[in-house]
Amino acid sequence: MSEKTRKPATFKLDDANVVVVDADDPGRAARGTVRITPEAEPSQLPVPLEARPVAARRRFGWGTLFWIATGGLVVLGAGLGIVKLIEDLFTRSETLGYLGLGLAAAAGLALAVVTGREMFGLMRLAAIEKLHARAAAVITSDDRAESRAIVEDLLKLAHQNPHLARARTALTEHAGDIIDGADMIRLAERELMTPLDQEARRIVSVAAQRVSVVTAVSPRALFDVLFVFVAALRMIRQLARLYGGRPGTLGMISLLRHVITHLAITGGMAAGDTLLQQMLGHGIAAKLSQRLGEGVLNGLLTARLGLAAIDVTRPLPFTALPRPALTDLASDLLRKREEEN
Amino acid sequence: MPPSFQDILEEARLSARALWDYGDGLFNPTVRLGVTGLSRAGKTVFITALIHGLTRGGRFPVFEAYASGRIARARLEPQPDDAVPRFDYENHVRTLVEDRRWPGSTTDISELRLVIDYQRQNGADRSLTLDIVDYPGEWLLDLPLLSKSFEQWSAESLALSREGPRKNLAAPWHNYLATLSAEARADEQAALTSARLFTDYLRACRDERFAMSLLPPGRFLMPGNLANSPALTFAPLDVPADGSAPDGSLWAMMVRRYEAYKDAVVRPFFRDHFARLDRQIVLVDALAAFNSGPEALHDLEAALAGILDCFRIGRSTFFSSLFRPRIDRILFAATKADHLHHSSHDRLEAILRRIVARAAVRAEHEEAAIDVVALAAVRATREATVQRGREKLPSILGTPAAGESANGECFDGETEVATFPGDLPADPEALFKGGGFRGLASAPSEKADFRFLRFRPPQLEREGDAEPALPHIRLDRALQFLIGDRLQ
Repeated sequence: MSEKTRKPATFKLDDANVVVVDADDPGRAARGTVRITPEAEPSQLPVPLEARPVAARRRFGWGTLFWIATGGLVVLGAGLGIVKLIEDLFTRSETLGYLGLGLAAAAGLALAVVTGREMFGLMRLAAIEKLHARAAAVITSDDRAESRAIVEDLLKLAHQNPHLARARTALTEHAGDIIDGADMIRLAERELMTPLDQEARRIVSVAAQRVSVVTAVSPRALFDVLFVFVAALRMIRQLARLYGGRPGTLGMISLLRHVITHLAITGGMAAGDTLLQQMLGHGIAAKLSQRLGEGVLNGLLTARLGLAAIDVTRPLPFTALPRPALTDLASDLLRKREEEN
Repeated sequence: MPPSFQDILEEARLSARALWDYGDGLFNPTVRLGVTGLSRAGKTVFITALIHGLTRGGRFPVFEAYASGRIARARLEPQPDDAVPRFDYENHVRTLVEDRRWPGSTTDISELRLVIDYQRQNGADRSLTLDIVDYPGEWLLDLPLLSKSFEQWSAESLALSREGPRKNLAAPWHNYLATLSAEARADEQAALTSARLFTDYLRACRDERFAMSLLPPGRFLMPGNLANSPALTFAPLDVPADGSAPDGSLWAMMVRRYEAYKDAVVRPFFRDHFARLDRQIVLVDALAAFNSGPEALHDLEAALAGILDCFRIGRSTFFSSLFRPRIDRILFAATKADHLHHSSHDRLEAILRRIVARAAVRAEHEEAAIDVVALAAVRATREATVQRGREKLPSILGTPAAGESANGECFDGETEVATFPGDLPADPEALFKGGGFRGLASAPSEKADFRFLRFRPPQLEREGDAEPALPHIRLDRALQFLIGDRLQ
């Protein structure tokens, strides 16, 4: 062969001239010995997986059809006036009449669809909330039959999410086992919620970081306010989707109300300890620049809102798994900030 | 040669079967995965690792459907053909994990069906059936015979046996052949002796030192249940390629037996297991050829080209899936990639690409998807850097199988060693030039350019009662390419 190649060689590990050393061992081996450094296992290293956002899906179901039809009837009743208007238009000119008819039909259809979807979203949110309450009750009462029913509902809810197929099968296999009520709920939480919790944490963290960056660089306070509001809405919607809800506009309003209520109940404490600590203790960035400090603060507030939203949208209470803490998210945020400086 | 009546009949049979399968596939989506490879390429280990990984849970980060949790489970089901033995998966796993031995040579065909329950991206529950067949790799060498007459085959076999290292190995058979006259009366004893000497020659070519691949007919090496039958008692004769045999002669007898071999052995094998494949993985053990020398590499190339010409490769269309199923994805895999440091895997893939160039070009022309990958279905080694003086050698750590030798030392199957197998060239052409490198076939072992030891399967630690997951290299990538699109 034209290029320079090395000959094959083999070394026995129990040979006297062969030493096996760790990768981080800087020491020099004695003359004439052969040093063997095992390398990190590529297969054991964590592989970064692309986070796949939960895809929003719309599907045609009988429930939807029902709501569309019912809504349509209501609109028909209320739309008698419109019919009159169209008749008037027809008497004036046929073209105008057809135009009016078309517009009215389009408006009616759109209204029906929107209403149907809103109702559906609200019902779903209500179902999740109910599930949450029932699960919390079972954890104290340890009721076996009720826990089975909850797990069944939960599986139905999780059936929307293809990434939970394996977790669901595992859970279904356990459904027949003899497991106490509270343990069953904990098992379900471990199986189904672990991947979702990770994703939720990522969503909140991303939103908080985005808010903090935008606040730090935006020229006007109005932009901040608008952006924070939009980002918060987006985050809450994503979280609700992730945990199985499908809120529409009405759903979002009710969800937002819940989140803010929840924040008001639990938030005082946080403002008392962790938040202040974060601001005063680790806020090196804040000492450097006022705008950076505002950015961090806004990011922390968004994170706080995100945690409240997780509590509200999650179908199970936190028992077996740790509740994500503000400190985790805040340290992410501050670390990023300081790296950027 | 115009198609004979037999060929037309065969085509009609295949089409009828394809139509039946298509109807079946509407209700029960099935992928027929063809695991193709010459003997010792690692078919059995690949199948075992694949089933083990899917049913018991392995680390498959690149296999999207599995990594994202959409595969609910995979289970074994009774196979469709009642007359074919079941693939002995459980035993193979035990051999690998507990005895730390590789499964022995496959001696007969076997089959297994794997059902994957999964959820589609849009949320619908589905299941996909995967039919996998294991068979002795030697039998694959028969497929090119289907299009050859006895006279053509004789001429080719003789020409081949007079080249390179084969010449010495074939000497006893050549001497005997010189005493035979093709036009003489048929003589059973002459046929028997001739077949025995021919088989001995084929077997000698398979030795690790020569590692020849192109050794048809395959049943001579691995007769299965046909040992000593007349269909296996023939040998090439020194006859003109376009001549015709006189009645009652030895020649006529050989021709009849050769045709019987094709009808009774090769055609059913092809029809039952290869004519209806959807996806194919071609496992190639290039390392054994590196050990031996350039002749073995050329031989491997020729054998693979001949075999791959027999498959129907091309983009699937509605019509083709109705009457003439085609392989629309084909993966060429260089097995035993764990015998090399991962920094050399790119070069190994480049060499494999060169070996299968002809088939790959044809597949691309027919718009089938192809990929080349360096793969280890079960990873037996770890990686390490060896520093000897100023030299740093990217090496691997593992336990060589008992009886392997290197540097004049013989290993006992317990000692762990670090080995540097030699540098693969950056340009694959360098290997294919005449005398491109020195292997065991032409040089003593300390002069050889490459030395790939055979390692024992890895020591696995059990966690609780669960069977340990088998470590692998790029098995997930192979799966993603082969069946990932069917699990969308």
